[in-house]
Amino acid sequence: MKILVVAEMQLGKLKPSNGAAVRFAQDLAAKTGGSFDIVLIGHGLADLAAGLNKYGAGALHVIDAPRFENYLPGSFCAAVVGLVQAEGYTAVIGGEATTSRDIFPRIAGALGAGMCKGVSAIVDAGGGVAYQRAVFSGMALRTERIHTPIHVLTVDPTAVGEPAEGPAGAVKAFAAPGGDDDSVKFVERRRAESGRPDLAVAERVVGAGRGIKSADYLETIGTLADKLGAAIGSTRAVVDAGWLPNEFQVGQTGKAIAPKLYLAIGISGAVQHSAGIRGAKTIVAINKDPEAPIFKIADVGIVADLFDVVPKLIEKI
Amino acid sequence: MKVLVTVKPVADPNTPPAAWIAAQQGKPTGEVNHVANYFDLIAVEQAIRLKDVGVDDICIVSITGDDKMAQVRSAIAMGANRAILIDPEGKALEWHQIAAALKHVVEQEQPAFVLMGKQATDDDASQVGSILAGMLGWPQATFVSEMEFNADRTRVKVGRETDEGVEVLDVKLPAVITCDLRLNEPRYATLPNLIKSKKAPLERFKFSELGIAADPQVTVEGFALPAGRSGECRMVKDADELVGVLKEMKLV
Repeated sequence: MKILVVAEMQLGKLKPSNGAAVRFAQDLAAKTGGSFDIVLIGHGLADLAAGLNKYGAGALHVIDAPRFENYLPGSFCAAVVGLVQAEGYTAVIGGEATTSRDIFPRIAGALGAGMCKGVSAIVDAGGGVAYQRAVFSGMALRTERIHTPIHVLTVDPTAVGEPAEGPAGAVKAFAAPGGDDDSVKFVERRRAESGRPDLAVAERVVGAGRGIKSADYLETIGTLADKLGAAIGSTRAVVDAGWLPNEFQVGQTGKAIAPKLYLAIGISGAVQHSAGIRGAKTIVAINKDPEAPIFKIADVGIVADLFDVVPKLIEKI
Repeated sequence: MKVLVTVKPVADPNTPPAAWIAAQQGKPTGEVNHVANYFDLIAVEQAIRLKDVGVDDICIVSITGDDKMAQVRSAIAMGANRAILIDPEGKALEWHQIAAALKHVVEQEQPAFVLMGKQATDDDASQVGSILAGMLGWPQATFVSEMEFNADRTRVKVGRETDEGVEVLDVKLPAVITCDLRLNEPRYATLPNLIKSKKAPLERFKFSELGIAADPQVTVEGFALPAGRSGECRMVKDADELVGVLKEMKLV
């Protein structure tokens, strides 16, 4: 297959999920006897291109114009579709993230191509390839086969490894079709700055559940997180209660994470949350309910009142 | 303003995964209860709340057979005016086909905008909203948790939930808007409204009548249960022992 990886940016930097997309492209190219290129879309990208151009891609396409300063689905979709049609790509791959979730189905629709979202593995299927992905809150895996000439895929970053390094490809500027369009205008971004590691890729994550009882206790959770050099994550209940913004949510409708250590504090372990921490290396659970489902997936557990245990951990770590 | 709101009946999220898989494969199984997709109920609730800004015709669209009418009725009973049902005639339709069917309804009804849930809790794909917007050539705003219309209702300012915080966009109507958790909390349908909902006008189509390619772009080849996390949970008695174990595992 002739593969295009659509790299994503996050607050002016390359997004970590790009690594999984490149790795998946390398694996798919090896399996189907093809090659892959990468495209980066934005404005003022000169310094970022080098960070992507070290994985053996044939080409690094750069689409750089003032109108791409902020991500907007319509113009970014038109840019990717224009490049796919100009170069004749047969697969379009991105790392699973909120931007790819927004734009990839639109790209697939525009190309008349089938799409699989959040793919975790390539499966052999009667001379071709099929893709496995988690469905039903991660409680089941489903194998899906795409029958259109072009395959559109997003890749689950917690299920795919790091990309192999390789020579740099030719850097090519692509003049994307389309012009200024006022149908969608970027207004602003509101974001809580914490100074902590990025939840999506943090090596350690302290997860807070409804058991913490109030937003006030997040300060103590934050102290523990800072002692561990950890990011804070949460369940949907904590976000629903308004204690933390949505970008902290881990699970089926939030982020999927794969830290080395996930410290689940006052989290019962509903399937919707567990769906987001399946990739964690070690799960440590603190919960006063010995029957809490979290202990079924935890590696280390303590049945105790978190309000006793957490201050002691802060003291001893 | 007329609004179309999509509602998908899905298996109850508490269904054991093996039973869900069996039902997906068409095997006779114990009862799998169905519910309206929770994110779609957020969309219905939002449409009802927008009566204040001039929404006066809420039309539910659902692609479902008669066996799942109860789930559609419960959504109508929240406060919708009517419903359009597309019978898939026993076929498992994929996202592109569903978007094409919805496009047919949008072209017939010409709503001011379309509200949808951000994803279905069974296949977790969140594809249809973006495909539909692209097919219509409309703007899209996905994972929306805030909506505010301008004075003449030609544009809507939305807050989108992203990995990097809330992104505020100013979107021209008509548009496809998909709803995230924090937008609202859906109301329960009351019994009198459930009874009343049986009189709501229903329009029915068969999928095969809509002139959409019958061959799916994506097919389901099989299911598996994910490998469980290996090993027992090692229980410790207090914070001291926990710190000891974490140090031993070189995690702190």
